[in-house]
Amino acid sequence: MPAIRQTQPPPVPPLPRLPWYARLNVVNVTFILFILAVGVAGWRMRGEADEIDYLASLWGFLQRFFPPDLSAPVRNQVFSAMVETIEIALLATFNSIVISFVLSIGAAQNIAPKWIVVTVRMMLNGVRTIPSLIWALLAVVVAGPGPLAGVIALTFYSIGYLGKFYSEAFESVDIEVARGLRAIGADPIQAFQYGLWPHAKPLVWSYSLWMLEYNIRSAAIIGYVGAGGIGLQLHAYQEFGMWSRFCTVLLCILVVVTLLDFLGETIRRRINRRIARRTLSD
Amino acid sequence: MLKAFADSTVPREDRVATIHTESLGLHQQGRWLFRNLTIQVPPGTFVAVVGPSGVGKTSLLACLAGMRNPTEGAVHYRMSNGTGQPPLAFRRQLGIIFQRLLLTENAPVLTNVLCGRLQQFHFYRTLFGFPAALRKRAFEILHDLGMSAYAYTSVAQVSGGEQQRVAIARALFQEPAVYLADEPVSQLDTYLTGRVLGLLKLEALEQGRSVFCVLHDATLVARFADYSLSLNREEPGEWRLRRLAPEAES
Repeated sequence: MPAIRQTQPPPVPPLPRLPWYARLNVVNVTFILFILAVGVAGWRMRGEADEIDYLASLWGFLQRFFPPDLSAPVRNQVFSAMVETIEIALLATFNSIVISFVLSIGAAQNIAPKWIVVTVRMMLNGVRTIPSLIWALLAVVVAGPGPLAGVIALTFYSIGYLGKFYSEAFESVDIEVARGLRAIGADPIQAFQYGLWPHAKPLVWSYSLWMLEYNIRSAAIIGYVGAGGIGLQLHAYQEFGMWSRFCTVLLCILVVVTLLDFLGETIRRRINRRIARRTLSD
Repeated sequence: MLKAFADSTVPREDRVATIHTESLGLHQQGRWLFRNLTIQVPPGTFVAVVGPSGVGKTSLLACLAGMRNPTEGAVHYRMSNGTGQPPLAFRRQLGIIFQRLLLTENAPVLTNVLCGRLQQFHFYRTLFGFPAALRKRAFEILHDLGMSAYAYTSVAQVSGGEQQRVAIARALFQEPAVYLADEPVSQLDTYLTGRVLGLLKLEALEQGRSVFCVLHDATLVARFADYSLSLNREEPGEWRLRRLAPEAES
């Protein structure tokens, strides 16, 4: 019977050293660049407005904010301005939903021919590069100051986003189902309505609600350049130094946006859960 | 069971067709799947397409459906009035049960069945749903297939076998001239298999609708099919059409 011999385990090799350049991955490099840029920016800013006593001026400013002016006329004014803000957002979102729906079909690679996709996408990219405040400035120039300018501005602004999101929703759908319907004689619109739309619908609605939420936030600020809504109030109170009223407006925006955030998040989470459950059961 | 199909709105003569293939051949990935396939399938014939996996059965059905262009030869459907049509022009009359089913999973079972009749309407007629009479008939077919409890359940939430029955119901509801069924019973139990193939057989016998059905089970082929068409992997030109049932008296 052979004896079991205890053998010496092979010696552990020394821990290899990681060369310095092996740590240069994209995360580390961009982080170092960011820190360097912050350093440069901070150094360049130094020395501007040194003479102002920041804390004292902040304190003085805050004192003028409180207490917020909650008297009845101000309350009514702020309330009706807030309602106008929400109306601007509602109309702009509705317009952009309709227009984006048509455009996004052209921007979806699995639906439209290549040349249309490229053209529409370039257009949407172009629209997206312009911030909402610039759209508002342009709209005020074209349509004159007022809520209509706000609606026009936010419509254009939203189309850039919704067009992109919708087309991505359409692209996430298996096109074979619609092709199958075409194979048994359905026309293209029917194939879209019955083969593709049921899959894209929850996603499209989820994006639309997000856009509405976003537009209410944007509508609160575009009034600053004259495009209606509560921003107009904000601008006026700031111009005349009525800081306690300014504070009332800010509080109102804060309350509405927080509520909206909460509500939108809840609804969208429920919709997404619906989508997720269906994908899992595939 | 056939009550659902009895009061068809379209006259029967328009709904029967002879399938002609002329020297049909399909070349794919460096090899021929089938060649010189010339057959004539008269109305009311049940043809089982057989052969090992990958031999080209699905591709043959795709050619018959006009979803793929054959490398050589042609398919056309000849109506009783003598006019012939290529598959794409004839597709309104093709009831296809896809191997992948291709159902709209987020839509209810009933809507999926109703989709079988989309080709009968302009899009603006189906924009807001289907007429009540059609909904009723679609439900009857679902009931025949034991699916009446799921009419308003979305397809994603029913089992694989149930989804297969939805696809079958969609084809039956369409009342096509020709059924092209790619393994329509692969996920069904013995009872349902017999029921579904029996329904297709009845469609052939009583309505004169032809059935092209990919089947793997030899006993099912013997039990339901009039002809078996077997494709040959080694010799693509050596396909074989074999009579299984005695010819019906004409």
